[in-house]
Amino acid sequence: MRGSPQCQDVAEAIEREGLSPLPETVREHLPSCVACQGFVADLDSIVTAARQFPTEVEPPARVWISLRAQLAAEGLLREEGLATEATRGGRWWQKGWGHGFSGLLQGRALATAAVGLLIFAAGVAQLRHNSSITPPQPIVKEQPQELDPLADSGAALRTQEHELRSAQPAGTLSSSPVDDSLQKDLQTLDAFIAECEYHLKANPHDQLAREYLAGAYQQKAELLAEMMDRGRSVN
Amino acid sequence: MPARQAPKPLTEADAIRLAQAGDATAFEFLYSLHGRRVYALCLRMVREPSDAEDLMQEAFLQLFRKIGTFRGESAFSTWLHRMTVNVVLMRLRKKTLPATSLDEVTDPDDETGGPRKDVGAPDLRLSGAVDRVNLERSIEKLPPGYRTVFTLHDVQGYEHNEIAEIMGCSVGNSKSQLHKARTRLRELLQEDIRQHARDERAAAKSQTTEGD
Repeated sequence: MRGSPQCQDVAEAIEREGLSPLPETVREHLPSCVACQGFVADLDSIVTAARQFPTEVEPPARVWISLRAQLAAEGLLREEGLATEATRGGRWWQKGWGHGFSGLLQGRALATAAVGLLIFAAGVAQLRHNSSITPPQPIVKEQPQELDPLADSGAALRTQEHELRSAQPAGTLSSSPVDDSLQKDLQTLDAFIAECEYHLKANPHDQLAREYLAGAYQQKAELLAEMMDRGRSVN
Repeated sequence: MPARQAPKPLTEADAIRLAQAGDATAFEFLYSLHGRRVYALCLRMVREPSDAEDLMQEAFLQLFRKIGTFRGESAFSTWLHRMTVNVVLMRLRKKTLPATSLDEVTDPDDETGGPRKDVGAPDLRLSGAVDRVNLERSIEKLPPGYRTVFTLHDVQGYEHNEIAEIMGCSVGNSKSQLHKARTRLRELLQEDIRQHARDERAAAKSQTTEGD
């Protein structure tokens, strides 16, 4: 049983000097005390087990997305990057609102922005819900995955957009409020698409993000088709 | 003609300087550099992933809000961990602690942090290998201060002088807290062994009763 003055010295020496290497007083005492041998062996086992715990765990991507949004909202981010696209959209929304668009166009722009925000908010909420059910996984190096068939949709849309721009040289572009509104809707959608693509690059297996991206591509295709139709009717 | 030099990779010091000017890429770089470690610490402290995410976000938010005041007197990671620990401890203080009574299973000698001296009872050995699941469960039962020091030292590998800086305490205090945390963990694990033995005896007894 531990309790002799020497055993007290062992505890104090370990507290002061640690377990590795064992203090000299402890080494001298151990051969004659089975209880202290057990005490030291147990502490050693605990430390050994603790050192096997991971020191790094990959946080879910939504933490950074949410943090970045918060930083942008607080105006802490200066750079004009992907991170601030959403903020820029917001600023455009605030500035452009009073510039004489018709109620219908304001509604369209607002609806597009609102759908994007709702999708994003629902996604964050669902991802949070899922994570509270499943325990965090250890870091797994994932191979980059092709975004097919999304990658094809993205490429097709870029071609369609390029054709639209080629068909309407800069000088001939209509500058009506309707076209302005469509252009701004397109910018908002592009910002959302960029956000999804950025997220998917980091998390290729995020099914929810893939669904959002597919939905955004669909919206963009419809928007481009409308813009082409308007181009044809104007010209 | 001078050879074109490849762009210099971003260092932590560069990123801190850029982040102080509000550069978004620098923020992301610092997050990617330290995020996994901070998340592991939060997760070890609160266990619940959604809580750990909130705490991590709060810690980084504070960091980025105050990064303009960072003068490099301490290592950046120490500064970040200090904020993280403060955020975590603040949250734990607000929450009610688990109802597990440590007094039931431990009665450490406050003078030495040594184990309880059960007169006549042999020391229970932890059989050389500590079950990780049991250890995690026992860590959860530690008071927040002990849990923090144990996690920082024995899991994350910080030295006592760094822990003292992170926790705002003396090196001696850090050593003392660590020793007490370890001895409490030992007793919690021993209690697990005792409980397991009691359960087995109860199961055997009920089987015997059914047999009669």
